[in-house]
Amino acid sequence: MIEITRRRIDVPAVLDSVRRDDAGAVVLFLGTVRSEPDVAALDYEVYVSMAEKVLGDLVARAREKFGIREMSIVHRLGRVPVGGDSVAVACSAAHRREAFDACAWAMDEVKRIVPIWKSEPPRKARRSH
Amino acid sequence: MRVRVRLFSTYREIVGAGDVAWTADSGTTLADFLDAFLKHHPRLASHRDTMLLAVNQAFAAPSTVLREGDEVALLPPVSGGAR
Repeated sequence: MIEITRRRIDVPAVLDSVRRDDAGAVVLFLGTVRSEPDVAALDYEVYVSMAEKVLGDLVARAREKFGIREMSIVHRLGRVPVGGDSVAVACSAAHRREAFDACAWAMDEVKRIVPIWKSEPPRKARRSH
Repeated sequence: MRVRVRLFSTYREIVGAGDVAWTADSGTTLADFLDAFLKHHPRLASHRDTMLLAVNQAFAAPSTVLREGDEVALLPPVSGGAR
């Protein structure tokens, strides 16, 4: 599952999308919007058509590099309030080590090469939260 | 030939548009295009060193030759994930 969404991330659905009978490990990473002084939310801008392609390539590379079974990545678009999930990476593998390693590697790659930019909402908009 | 230029985040704010039509001579490379585009939008020029370039939704080298209808994207350094 590769998805860029304006809606809240359905975490159980992301987990279910990587479950397989031949996997003995499922790892989930959630990136969440952390509370900071004067910040109630973050805005995410995404070059959607390219992000979907880059994420698809990234999952293919994760399969090759770590021998994982499945990987799903879902990223938010638009405004995400403090405490909300901005990204979910789920990975299944035969054993826990490759599932942990692949999940950590994939998240680093998301931050490095996927065309997504975050910004703080303008002050006027922030007050409404 | 005509290409479509996509701009995001701070670059979109600098240029004042996220989607720009651009006309270039055939045989123009991505580097040639960028020279001309930055001349037209000088406030973007100081970002050239950190700019990521894509053609048709894939990262592309400056030597890439552009074709009619290509979608060129100028991408600021990315910052997805959590804060």
